[in-house]
Amino acid sequence: MSSSRRNFLVAGIGLPALASASRSADPEPQTRARRSSDVQFEYRILGKTGLKVTAVGMGCMVTSDGSVVERAADMGITYFDTARGYSGGNNERMVGAALKGKRNSITLSSKSHSATGKEALNDLDTSLKELGTDHLDIWYLHAKTKPEEVTDDLIEAQQTAKKAGKIRFAGVSTHAGQPTLVPWLAKNPNIDVVLSAYNFTLEPAVTTALEQAAAAGKGVVAMKVMAGGFRTIKPGDPAYAKLKQDGGLLAALKWAMRNPKVVNTTIPSITDNDQLAENLTAMGHPYGAAEEKLLAERLELIRPLYCRTCGQCDGACRQGLPVADMLRILTYADGYGQFALGRERFLELAPEHTSVKCGDCPSCTVQCPHGVKVVERLIRAQELFAC
Amino acid sequence: MLKLVFGAALVAGVLAAQSLPAPTCTLVPGWTQSGPARSYVSDNLFEYMDGNAEGYLIYGFQKMQGVTCKKGEVTFVVDVSDMGDADSAYGIFTANFDSRQPANPVGMGGQIQPRRATFAKGQYYVEIGANPEGDHTAALTEWITALDKTVSGSTTVPPAMSWFPAEKRTGLRLVPESALGIRLLKRGYVAQYDYGKAFVVLEASPESAAAVIQKLKTRFGENTPATIADEAFQANDKYLGKLCFFRKGRYIGGYTITQDGYDGVALSKALADKIQ
Repeated sequence: MSSSRRNFLVAGIGLPALASASRSADPEPQTRARRSSDVQFEYRILGKTGLKVTAVGMGCMVTSDGSVVERAADMGITYFDTARGYSGGNNERMVGAALKGKRNSITLSSKSHSATGKEALNDLDTSLKELGTDHLDIWYLHAKTKPEEVTDDLIEAQQTAKKAGKIRFAGVSTHAGQPTLVPWLAKNPNIDVVLSAYNFTLEPAVTTALEQAAAAGKGVVAMKVMAGGFRTIKPGDPAYAKLKQDGGLLAALKWAMRNPKVVNTTIPSITDNDQLAENLTAMGHPYGAAEEKLLAERLELIRPLYCRTCGQCDGACRQGLPVADMLRILTYADGYGQFALGRERFLELAPEHTSVKCGDCPSCTVQCPHGVKVVERLIRAQELFAC
Repeated sequence: MLKLVFGAALVAGVLAAQSLPAPTCTLVPGWTQSGPARSYVSDNLFEYMDGNAEGYLIYGFQKMQGVTCKKGEVTFVVDVSDMGDADSAYGIFTANFDSRQPANPVGMGGQIQPRRATFAKGQYYVEIGANPEGDHTAALTEWITALDKTVSGSTTVPPAMSWFPAEKRTGLRLVPESALGIRLLKRGYVAQYDYGKAFVVLEASPESAAAVIQKLKTRFGENTPATIADEAFQANDKYLGKLCFFRKGRYIGGYTITQDGYDGVALSKALADKIQ
């Protein structure tokens, strides 16, 4: 993770907060309840934290008005997520004001992107002040992509905050690098919750990684569930607009929620009351054939990019290229934004492979059964990394 | 997405032809570059800031040039973003502005805090982040002054900013979509007051604005007419409070009042009178 990312910019205002974390977790199993005339709420337990949360929570980063947050809480959503860095700190202030008087009935999380424990703890104190609370239920180390970014210093800061009663549980959020990072987090006894980008466009290895976290008792929270986190399909992209049509985003949300043993809750970004109402319908109407068909159509949009690692291309290249490996390596750059990691992995390939130029072959012997444009992708990998 | 043309944005067409200024560490004596310069467009902004990119894209982010500068143990992360037009640049500035802290007279508007400085000028949004912890106000001021000279563009605040009374105002920002949390209202300025909110959004035409007003009446149910501009109504909402919405040509505006003792109709009429 680059130290120059935006969250780094947030200044801390160190103010002490009183420690008080007296609410007990409610370890009831997954349950459903009808909170309004047309919404059936589904509740799940957030791993070993025991926190009972709605299967659809609320990501508040782009919420346009505090009244949407307040309405969501009244309608029955119980999990709200913000971060110190959102809108220069204004987002925490809006969320705090909106949830005033509702603190004891909701689960609240925030994040710090600070690189040192001292700065992170200052961020936490500022978050508590802005949110108008004396504790967070979950405090995430924000946007980590590699185990080495989750430093002992930061872990110690979380434990210090926990002992002081300023947080109940410690978490790590990640947008990229899950196949490596999440299994490492799963083994870390100090981490209670993993917040991960997770959507139907991501490769199966992400699901596998989250399964490991869930199996280890970590709470698993999914974000970027509408596929906005996939860097080739994002807001502003025509393909993203297509994803939003015809209930595609609702189907994407249901996909992320479909296995409660892997994902305990989701925090789709909710902009307005209309989106709030739509997202709530995802509970009580599980992922099914209609959604699968819809997402399959949407997946066509990214099919040329997306390797499912089925292995059917093994040995098919006349030059002996490890095609699936190279596509995966390219995903580090294109899918996860980790160019350096991609190049590092590429250069670990055998010299006879890194020196191949696919454009020199008159035709390609590799035909992907899932429609990945192999030649195009391999040429891109060679152009990106082989220099 | 409909772009509001609140005065200052009228110059956007001229400014669009200007190239994005790339900050350099030599702008201020004593600073040296750390690492390569950065350049991002909307396609790869996620690579720089992960999910936070959404907060830029919704304000029309086009591209960014950035550089990291060092002086001793102090690091400044300097980024200049082209937001497409002055309205959007000022919009993202307002979204990140801490209304409890003073503003600085830079460009259309600026703010310098101990570890962070921002300003908007023309279609450009400029940010500096400082590390490590500490009060970097003096150096940030020096940098902002230098950057102001390299970034060209309008320094005129969008006229809409002057439409909202300052008394008891705690915030004023451009909401890029769904003003007041209502999708029908799309993009507009929203002012926060101790006693409620005021807003103005711009529709494509008087006809489309009239259609939105009709849909809003349906949405809020029971309502009573008010005599403001072209048309107006009052209603109640559990979360927004007592509403008074009006239409004046292509503009839709009004107040939401959550405290007793404030006359939403009178306030809305005063707001409508200011819209030219």
